[in-house]
Amino acid sequence: MSYILNITGFILKGSIVTLKLYAVAIVFSIPLGIVGALGKTSNKKWLKNILEIYIWIIRGTPLLLQLFFVYFGLPVFGIKLGRFQAAAITFIINYGAYFTEIFRAGIESVDKGQYEAAKALGMNYKQTMRRIILPQAIKRVLPPTSNEAITLMKDTALVAAISMGDILRAAKEVLTRDFNVTPFIIAAIIYLLLTSVVVLVFKQLEKKYAIYE
Amino acid sequence: MMCVIKAENITKVFGDLEVLKNVSLEVDRGEVISIIGPSGSGKSTFLRCLQQLEEIDGGKIKIDDKKLGMIFQNLNLFPHKTVIENISEAPIIVNKMNREKAVKRGEELLKKVGLLDKKDDYPCDISGGQKQRVAIARALAMEPEILLFDEPTSALDPELVGEVLSVIKELAKDHMTMIIVTHEMAFAREVSDYIVFMDEGKIIEKAIPNKMFTNPDHPRIKVFLDKML
Repeated sequence: MSYILNITGFILKGSIVTLKLYAVAIVFSIPLGIVGALGKTSNKKWLKNILEIYIWIIRGTPLLLQLFFVYFGLPVFGIKLGRFQAAAITFIINYGAYFTEIFRAGIESVDKGQYEAAKALGMNYKQTMRRIILPQAIKRVLPPTSNEAITLMKDTALVAAISMGDILRAAKEVLTRDFNVTPFIIAAIIYLLLTSVVVLVFKQLEKKYAIYE
Repeated sequence: MMCVIKAENITKVFGDLEVLKNVSLEVDRGEVISIIGPSGSGKSTFLRCLQQLEEIDGGKIKIDDKKLGMIFQNLNLFPHKTVIENISEAPIIVNKMNREKAVKRGEELLKKVGLLDKKDDYPCDISGGQKQRVAIARALAMEPEILLFDEPTSALDPELVGEVLSVIKELAKDHMTMIIVTHEMAFAREVSDYIVFMDEGKIIEKAIPNKMFTNPDHPRIKVFLDKML
C-alpha cells in the first residue's frame, strides 16, 4: 500500500507539468481559434488564404512531428526554445488550427437574419460579432470543443518524447525502475480523473447555455 | 409636408435577373405606405435596399439611415437574449444609454405592445405573434422616425396575425412614418395613406386606398386584387 502511495505521489508530481501545459495551451489556443474563425469568415481573401494554408499544414501532419520540429528542428535556424516553451507553442498552434475550423463552422451556422437584425438596429461589425453572433456560435460549438479539450489532455502525453517529466514520463520511469505495470495503471487513473473534470466542466457549460432554444 | 425618404430610379440586379427597374418613391413624414403586389415583384428587395441590407446597382436613396427601423418576416429576435434584453441591447451598446434607463424604456415599450409580463422569457417560450410584437418594440427602442415592415405577418399562424396588425395600427395613429410590405389587403386599405402596387420590379401605380381597391388605372392590378379579395 505504501508502495502504491509512494509512486502515486511521484507520478502526481508529473501531473503538474501536464496541467501547466494544458492550461497554457487551452488559454491561448481558444482565443487563437476565435481570431482565426473571424478571419476565415471575413471578406479578406488574402487572410482567408493564409489561414487555409495554416490549417492545411497543421491538420495534415502529425502533432508529434510538429513538436519535434519546434524543439529539435528550430535550433537549426538559430531559434532555441526550452522544452516547456517548445511544447506550449506547438500545442497552441496545433489546437488553434482545429479550434479555428470548429468556431468557423459555428459562426457560419448562425442565421443570416441575425446579422440583418443587428445591422438594422445600428450595430457595427464588432458589436454584432461580440454581442449577437459569437454567443450563439459558442453554444453550438460546445460539443466539438469539448472533444478537442479532452483530446488535448491526452495529447500532452506526447511531451514525454522530448523528455518532459509529465504524468506518462513519470510513470514510465517507475516502470523501468521497478519492473511492474502498477505505475501505468495509476497514470491511466490520473488521466481519467483529469479528463472527467473536463467533461464535467463542459456539461455545466452546456447546461448553462441550454436555457434558450 | 417634409419628405423623409426619397428613392430615385433604384435598380437592383441579382445575377441575370433585374429585380428592381427604376423604382422611385417619395415618402413624407407621418405617412403610412403599403406596398402590395405579387410574390417576386421586388417589394421586399426594395425595402431591403432602403435599409441598406442590399447594395443598389443604380439610382439614389436619400434617407437618414440612423432613423430607420426594420421589422422582418422571419422575426429575427436574438434567441440567446430575454425579451427585455432583446429590446434594451441596442440602446445600451449602440446609443450608450445606461442599462437602467434602457430597461425602463424597454418595459414601457413592452407595455405598449401588451407584453410586459413576458419580459424575462426567452423568444423560444413565446408565440410567433408575441415575437413579432417584441420585434416591433425592439425597433421602437432605437427611436426610429421611419419603420419598415417586411411582410410582418406572413410567417405567422393566421390566428396570430390580428395582434400584430393592431400594434401597427396603433403606430399609425401616432403618426409614425411607415412603409409596409404586406399581403393583408384589408389591413393595407384601412391603415395606409397610399398604396403602392409593384409588379416585375416596377411600381406600376401609387394611389390612395379607395382608388387602388375600387378603380385602379392598371388592369393588371384589378386581376391581382380580384384573386386576393
